[in-house]
Amino acid sequence: MTTPKPTTGLDRLRGLQARGLLEKDHPTVAALLADEALTDTDLLRAGRLLANLDHDAVLTHHPGTPVVTVAVTGQSTVGRILDPLRAELARHGLLLRATVGEHGTYVRDLTQPQGSYDLTLCLLDAETVFCEVPVPWRAADAERAATEVLRRLAGLAGGFTGLLVLNTVPLLRRYTHQLVDHGSRAELGIVWREFNAGLLRLAAAHPAVVVIDLDPLIAEGGPAADPRMAAYAKEQLAAPLLAAYAREVGHLARSLCGRTRKALVLDLDNTLWDGILGEDGPEGIAAAGTLRGEAYGGFQKVVKQLGSQGVLLAVSSKNDERPVLEVLRGHPDMALRERDFVSVEAGWRPKDGALARIARRLGIGADALVFADDSPAEREQVRLGLPEVAVVPLDDEPALHVTRLLRDGWFDTLTLTREDRARTGRYREEGERRALRERAGSHEDFLRELRVGVELGPPRPHEYARLAQLTQRTNQFNLTGLRLRQHELAAVPLLLAARSTDRFGDNGLVGAVAGRYADDGLHLDNLWLSCRVLARGIEQACLSALLAYARERGLPAVYAGFRPTRANARARDFYPSLGFAETGHGGTEGEAVIFRHDLGVIPAIPGHVRIDATQLGSGKDGG
Amino acid sequence: MSPDSLGTLDGFLRLVRDDLGLVTDLAGPEAAECDLPDLPGWDSVNLLRLVTLLEQESGRAMPVGRILEARTLGEIYALVEDLR
Repeated sequence: MTTPKPTTGLDRLRGLQARGLLEKDHPTVAALLADEALTDTDLLRAGRLLANLDHDAVLTHHPGTPVVTVAVTGQSTVGRILDPLRAELARHGLLLRATVGEHGTYVRDLTQPQGSYDLTLCLLDAETVFCEVPVPWRAADAERAATEVLRRLAGLAGGFTGLLVLNTVPLLRRYTHQLVDHGSRAELGIVWREFNAGLLRLAAAHPAVVVIDLDPLIAEGGPAADPRMAAYAKEQLAAPLLAAYAREVGHLARSLCGRTRKALVLDLDNTLWDGILGEDGPEGIAAAGTLRGEAYGGFQKVVKQLGSQGVLLAVSSKNDERPVLEVLRGHPDMALRERDFVSVEAGWRPKDGALARIARRLGIGADALVFADDSPAEREQVRLGLPEVAVVPLDDEPALHVTRLLRDGWFDTLTLTREDRARTGRYREEGERRALRERAGSHEDFLRELRVGVELGPPRPHEYARLAQLTQRTNQFNLTGLRLRQHELAAVPLLLAARSTDRFGDNGLVGAVAGRYADDGLHLDNLWLSCRVLARGIEQACLSALLAYARERGLPAVYAGFRPTRANARARDFYPSLGFAETGHGGTEGEAVIFRHDLGVIPAIPGHVRIDATQLGSGKDGG
Repeated sequence: MSPDSLGTLDGFLRLVRDDLGLVTDLAGPEAAECDLPDLPGWDSVNLLRLVTLLEQESGRAMPVGRILEARTLGEIYALVEDLR
């Protein structure tokens, strides 16, 4: 008798198939395949099982299911790729529609009209080169053949319209050691590395080419080839290597479908550091200085590296918030600091809720989150509560944290833009502000802790484009509806730019004032303030500074106008709130309200705002 | 899969059915004598999968060339039996 094993995701998948529910319940397949108990072999079995999936029925039940069309070709027999590829795509909720070429037909396959495949996989192997090398041979013969293959592939890549996926080619001992002298072997080694480098360069030269480097996959666990399969079945790449390759293609397909994950949410205790903060205290935890501590420190550095490439980092920890923040701010071991995270959720509520809050705060879906935790219970809670989150299982072996985190290339993307690299900063600042607002007892407390600084002065030469954009885009706090194009800005007699900062970062140019000095005083023709920074006291501070300046200069009064538009109703009382009196109506149809400030009582600059510098000018006479 | 799944023809056929995902009730001599291409759901990669599967299950190297030349599951089972 065998003891009954717990039901795995594969068992449940088989159950669905037996009951004919695979198509109807297709959205659950990805979650079943996320079962941590599944082995690589189980995943192949699942891929095999899914070969019988009726795509049309899936699409009838779930019309939004993405279908990825893949053409597979290569020098050798490549049909074995399909099971793992099907399983890998299913893990990401994608359906595979594939055609496989016969072995040795890659040149023909790639030169024929490609139809409309999302991906064309051309699997290259050592035989791709060596089938063109005579017997007996020297390294120079291999070089000639490799050069020819590379030239041919470059030609194919140049005319390619879809996305062509090539791979670097493992050099096998069965070739190197046919050469008995070390000098020749080294020569072949050089030829081979240059061949692979040439393949990798194809990706740089052709936007339609991706090259998957097999070296790191083989380094994780060879062998690269099974000589028996190569001899009898013309299968030149070993099945486990094909499975690892399929996993990489799965990441690629996911990113093509816009399903690249955006944020990594991390547990803290025994995930980012050794120990439990609540029990061991800050002195008792380690991410440096001890053997295990250093392993955690290494993991932190890898996380930081991901963060530098636009992956948003967040924390979800069962801990009191204060000690967590103290560690992130001041603990000497930490490679990751509070500033590296866009959101820190420390508390005692369930983690699925914490993750949902993080996603909401960042303005992304839960399906853009990856969650890493060493606790099986927390992972299970998140899997059940928020199944669209990708869960990375860590355990009590911190030396394997990096491998586990990177195993699935959750954040893989075709290209990285400058915008991506800057993303963390932008999100973090916004997330921090929002968190502060939630923490702060009142709006006043929030503003005080935000430590807003404002700089008001003439625009700098490079700021005119941004100023024009600001006047064109600002609706809520645009007091007359005036919009100016860049060349019109030069004609404004008094033009001021407002730049703001706060404790979380630089907001850049956020506001503008257009006005003129006249005999009866300063006339404010319009004010603009970006809605990003509304209600932080910036508008009051700018105007108070202007009023104070006008009085200092001995001007008789300051005039301003408000013209209602579709969007600026809330700014109607802005001038009266600062001591302006309504004096009449203006505009072509009298629709504008005219205000006058007699400069008797100047409103104080709000206490939480610091005016950094003011050069308010005086139009043409300077000063 | 239990360690002795290769011990009997039925166990062998069950393994083939479950792990290769053949949608049929493979059992008994009839299935063993059936020409491989006539098995429902059979495809050309199945022999390669089967080799890998048998090596995983038995922990021994299989005579790959001979298995790839076999015409029926019965012939393959006989090759496996020879190794025991």
